[in-house]
Amino acid sequence: MPVSLNYIFKRTMLSILVILGVIVFSYLLLMLTPGDPAVKWAGNPRGPGAVKAIELARVELGLDKPLYVQIANFIYNFLTGNLGLSIAYKIPVSQVVISGFTATLELILFTYLFSIPLGVWLGLYSAIKRGSRIDSFIQSLSIVLASTPTFWLGSLILLASNTFTGFLPYGRVSSKLVLSTGFTPITGFYLLDSLIQGNIPVFIDALVRIIPPALAISVYPIGVLARVTRTLIAEALLEDYVRAAVAWGIKRETIIRQFVLRSIIPPVIQISGLSFVYSLVDAMVVETVVFGREGLGSILLDSLHKADFRVTLALAVYLTAFYIIVNTLVDIVQATIDPRIRL
Amino acid sequence: MSKKTYYIGVVLIAALVVSIVFLYVYTKPQAPSIEQKVVVYAYNDKITGIDPSVEDDTGLVVLGSIYETLTYYDYKTSEVKPRLAVNWTSSSDGKEWVFYLRKGVKFHDGTPFNSTAVKVSVERARDIYRETGRGMGYIWDAVEEIEIVDEYTVKFKLSYPQRLDLLASGSYAAYIFSPSVLEKAGVSSYMDRELEDWFNNGNAVGTGPYKLVYYDPVREVKLEKNSDWWGWREVSNPNAPDVVIIKIVTEPIAQYNGLLSGEIDIASSVPRENIKTLLEKGFKSINLSTYHNFVLFFNTKRYPTNIREFRLAIVHALDMSRIIRDALLGYGKVASGVLPHGFPGHVDNLVYQYNLAKAREYLSIAGVKSPVTITLLYQVDYEETRKFAEIFKSMMMELGVNVELDPQDWARLKDIAKEIWRNPDETPHLVIADWWPTIPSPYDYLYTMLHSESKEWNFAGYENNLFDDLIDSAWILEGENYTKAIELYVQAQQLVYEDVPAVGLWDEIRPFIYSGRINLPEEALNPLYMFVIRFELVEVRS
Repeated sequence: MPVSLNYIFKRTMLSILVILGVIVFSYLLLMLTPGDPAVKWAGNPRGPGAVKAIELARVELGLDKPLYVQIANFIYNFLTGNLGLSIAYKIPVSQVVISGFTATLELILFTYLFSIPLGVWLGLYSAIKRGSRIDSFIQSLSIVLASTPTFWLGSLILLASNTFTGFLPYGRVSSKLVLSTGFTPITGFYLLDSLIQGNIPVFIDALVRIIPPALAISVYPIGVLARVTRTLIAEALLEDYVRAAVAWGIKRETIIRQFVLRSIIPPVIQISGLSFVYSLVDAMVVETVVFGREGLGSILLDSLHKADFRVTLALAVYLTAFYIIVNTLVDIVQATIDPRIRL
Repeated sequence: MSKKTYYIGVVLIAALVVSIVFLYVYTKPQAPSIEQKVVVYAYNDKITGIDPSVEDDTGLVVLGSIYETLTYYDYKTSEVKPRLAVNWTSSSDGKEWVFYLRKGVKFHDGTPFNSTAVKVSVERARDIYRETGRGMGYIWDAVEEIEIVDEYTVKFKLSYPQRLDLLASGSYAAYIFSPSVLEKAGVSSYMDRELEDWFNNGNAVGTGPYKLVYYDPVREVKLEKNSDWWGWREVSNPNAPDVVIIKIVTEPIAQYNGLLSGEIDIASSVPRENIKTLLEKGFKSINLSTYHNFVLFFNTKRYPTNIREFRLAIVHALDMSRIIRDALLGYGKVASGVLPHGFPGHVDNLVYQYNLAKAREYLSIAGVKSPVTITLLYQVDYEETRKFAEIFKSMMMELGVNVELDPQDWARLKDIAKEIWRNPDETPHLVIADWWPTIPSPYDYLYTMLHSESKEWNFAGYENNLFDDLIDSAWILEGENYTKAIELYVQAQQLVYEDVPAVGLWDEIRPFIYSGRINLPEEALNPLYMFVIRFELVEVRS
């Protein structure tokens, strides 16, 4: 058994501690910043009763209590799954967060669907052609890709779409198409939902709209993976077991496919996992500012602008949990496929 | 690949296929609907709630199409016109009002509109405000008793005179909902907090031309034509949209893209520099002169803005025409006083003329030695105020006054600005804030911004008993002698003009851009209900 229960237990305990730390730190930080949630909860009251309304709102939100009680209450509410209503929109916090989360996650999952194979293939090809012009080109390209600001590239893609195709990828799916085809979101992942419902027009529409932001976000993972893969393969090709295989007269393709590629899978998974989480931040910027898609970015920005501390905190906790889960999964998958690793 | 891995893979794929088949069977796509007239309206903010009695912010955009008020304020004629009430009378002292209601009107759930609905709607808004201070129910503050005379006649008894017909046209807290909401929400009292949650969860029972069918305050709201609406015979518009989608598109550039891609039919906030391009591409526009105005408040409790002559120096060094041209690209009107143009009680000659020599003279009289540094607090997410602040800074440099800019988002700006009442020396010298009205009364602006009891919104810290008395008296007098009341409001504004605790900067002109496939008549927009489009008047071309 490569993954011990003890490891999972330790990891879970550590994760809980991290989440608690994030809650306390974020709560304190939010309370220190100006912007009174009670004012927003009371609805920016005007008229002679404004002061009274804000005081009552403060009591209702529990903001009149000492900070440690407020934090304890939030943790209790979080654990019992009752984060209350959003201060800005008066609907359950979970509803706000989930709607944004599925939109952003769909974008990243789609991005990684082609970024990982493409990045690995570029790295592999570069390593095979080591020292050639194509190798230099791919190496330079990977540096450029990894260091390109995504919001800038996103704007360029938008501009290019408009100039060359006359199409402006705006939003996640056409509202009019949704209406005319009777599309009903189930999971919140529109590509999947439209496939499930056999709604091809919506699938194509959602696909066409997700490609431009996905292209913008994909440059970082493609660049990083190409570079890492090349280095790993180049190192592996110098290993004794590869030399031995060459000496045995095994074909070069077989060596790479059977031995070299297998050996680089664990580090590639690790790098993919790390950059996956990094891309979440990238996606939050690009989807909102450049492509006008709904998602975590706009929700986070709005919650900060509107002193909606409940949504901000929920996002902080969920994003932390997401980060931890992805990394833990990466570790477990690594240990499962690589017998040398014992967690 | 080991056998074990192979079997796991097969099981996983089988599970996935079964799940997809299962979901497909249970969520078959509906057949494409009959050709509907659809209008997508891009609105630039998320919806903050849709409780008709409590909501006081962006929810108006939705409420305005679902619910109706007893009366309607026509800004072009400054007249109050019938809506759910067909007629009304008031006693000579303005303390008793009788409204005669429209017969045969039904709520969206089929329940009849009658006196009971009016009574519960008004009482709920008023009482929530009285008990908790939330919402805009203060507009009904004077209402002491509501008597149901008969099914279609309702009598209001007031504790002090009021223009109740004007108040009943308010853009907030004046909507009439069906008493059936009590049963639908499963609560026993209209004051139950759960009823508010029920409304905000996407439920509505109004009488308006559109019904709420889908509500997601962060993405979109879907409205469907109410074929039983009483007003269809009056508007006579067979091409009115069957479905209206209010789409939340916060980024102006995304609204622009949406228009170009045909996704959006009406946009409320495209970047102003892109409007020309859109018009060249065949889009149309209506420029609505709104009651949304921007006001510069002086900290009257902190040196040097506590010196009247210093404030006068600032306002005379301010070239508003240039600012409107450069910062707003013409989409604004130089303000005159703190009441917007066209609003009841507005006065035309309360503009400080740009005169740098005069400004320097005032600066010298103020005895403030240059260089002096003052801070300007403004809202960062308004492009207009951001540009204004930069130009303002350069203009003040010509006067020898250095301006430090303090950009903040709205929640923080308000938090900092209201500190003037507790800690004026730590509060910025200047604050820019914006306002739009709840009711068509000058009291709405003047009380909120400058009354000494308005500690939440009077960012100038202005305390002037004469001013307070003038507007308080005018407010009471509105019900008895409206002309005299307006005279008092004018006097109060002249006082503000002399004291300069605040200066109106500009009244917003909002361009609504729309596609050629629809016709958006001017009457569909009204500055009192800003951002609310009367979709019943919009025509959709095939």
